[in-house]
Amino acid sequence: MNTSTVTAELPRGRWNTRRSPRLVRAELLKVRKRRGLLAAILALTILPMIVAYVILAILHGVDPAKHGPAGSAHNFADSLNFLGALTIVAGILVGATLGTGDLGAGVFRELVVTGRSRLALFAARVPAGLGVLLLAFGIAFSVSAIAATLLAGPLDPPSGRLLLHSAGWLGLLATVSFVIALGVSSLISSRGTSIGILLGWLLVAMPLLLQIGSLGVFRETMIGAATERLEPAAVLGDGAHVPMSLTAAVLVVAAWTIVPLAAGAWRTVTRDA
Amino acid sequence: MSPHERVNGRARESQGFVVETTGLTKRFGDRVAVADVDLRIPRGSAFGYLGPNGAGKTTLIRMLLGLTDASAGTMHLLGRPVPARRAEALARVGAIVEEPRFHGFLTGRENLEIIAAAREPEAHARIDGALARAGLAHRADERVKRYSLGMRQRLGVARSLLGDPELLILDEPTNGLDPAGIHEFRAMIRGFVAEGRTVLLSSHLLSEVEKICDEVAIVDSGRVVMQGSIADLARGGQQSVLVATSDDARALAIVSGQRAVDSATPGPDGIHISLAKDVEAQPAADEISRSVVLAGLAIRRFEPVQASLEQRFLEITSRLEEAA
Repeated sequence: MNTSTVTAELPRGRWNTRRSPRLVRAELLKVRKRRGLLAAILALTILPMIVAYVILAILHGVDPAKHGPAGSAHNFADSLNFLGALTIVAGILVGATLGTGDLGAGVFRELVVTGRSRLALFAARVPAGLGVLLLAFGIAFSVSAIAATLLAGPLDPPSGRLLLHSAGWLGLLATVSFVIALGVSSLISSRGTSIGILLGWLLVAMPLLLQIGSLGVFRETMIGAATERLEPAAVLGDGAHVPMSLTAAVLVVAAWTIVPLAAGAWRTVTRDA
Repeated sequence: MSPHERVNGRARESQGFVVETTGLTKRFGDRVAVADVDLRIPRGSAFGYLGPNGAGKTTLIRMLLGLTDASAGTMHLLGRPVPARRAEALARVGAIVEEPRFHGFLTGRENLEIIAAAREPEAHARIDGALARAGLAHRADERVKRYSLGMRQRLGVARSLLGDPELLILDEPTNGLDPAGIHEFRAMIRGFVAEGRTVLLSSHLLSEVEKICDEVAIVDSGRVVMQGSIADLARGGQQSVLVATSDDARALAIVSGQRAVDSATPGPDGIHISLAKDVEAQPAADEISRSVVLAGLAIRRFEPVQASLEQRFLEITSRLEEAA
């Protein structure tokens, strides 16, 4: 453009609607350019899977009698248990970063000044964050699945059903942890505090609470109980701590997805920029 | 009708004010930051919003831009009610509020891409032109964390141009600029006005507003205490005359007793005579010169002294302090 020309007509049409691929691309640009965050995602997803299978392969190669094949359904299940915990950490990191990035840098104010709906600004973070997160976990999962299959030797490789179920479960973990972190961090406006609270809650406090039988039905409201219910049996191992119906699990997951998102969106719309 | 208006066929809009507020008020608890402000900013002007630090300038701008809600009153931006039609109005508003902020890990160009994505689709095509206009084209692909404060201000200007704004709201925009940068900035603002854009410049720097703006509102403790053209406001101040004669001591004695004279002070360049507020300036000056000549003194210098906006501003604020 030539900014020395006269001003254009006021924009018409649907450019200011809530959904905008341009806003999502802008959010993706921010994530892509955060080298530290990308390195953390890499370190929490793809790298551990590669390292784990390489070590298992070396051990098996050095002493096959003592160490079984690196692959197999069993090792795949173990790797997914590990990847599941890392998924939660990575989801929290990405969610908290996107939830507070603009605000922390003071750029949220500049975005609001454009006149664009605050809800649209918030909503664009969801597909952008999930896109990056699911891509990383897709690759990590693929590494694990391929290695577990190719390196199974005489043992059973993971079945197609297990692969599919595991992929869905990991995707669910990534989505839920990301969405909770996005909502909570948007609500309290602090990346560090959000990460601390959520890591403590999701990885320490909640697993402990799930083991306290006296809490009764209250445990069913926890997201950890619902994700355990949806976890593949081969990955879960000893069985879920809290028996609950599939419908209840789906409802709890939906609530833990919608409520933080709604709270974050509300705060984004109503806060002083 | 200006070419700007003719080209865009917006004659109806041009008849109004680009900013119009009525009774605009913002309270933080018991403290009133902006008090009952009625502001009218004419289209195509450089308008100064002048006041000391803490006078409520930034709060007013934040309300206009929808960054914070008003406690009372109404606002119109570009003829549209805010907040009801805020998005539509802000589409043609560019702004720098306080210090412009950016993502330091992104380049200047990428930061503009982020903002362009939030604006109309055509905004993206304006990035290169905006960077060139702000004098940043050659540094656009460097990360902003390496930018100096002055470069960030320039990038802020570039960003504010992405919406091809009819109205630019600039809050203390020369902060952090060196003298050459300030000079360039003034020219840039005048250039915007020459294109038909309106600039609202908020500043506590009197000299800055006086050099750049056509009109000014003086704000103090959240209230607009005076509004008008720079010349009118300065004229509204106390008139004074500088007189040098063949015998200043005698001249001083002659003029001191006159009704039209409020005070007369001798100085190295002559006698500085402040005229009484209730007299017409020209007849009073005529009376002074006549009395000096009739006393047999030769007049070597006789010139009205134009009050600067600074003098006027000090008069107004000191009067407010006395009244308080």
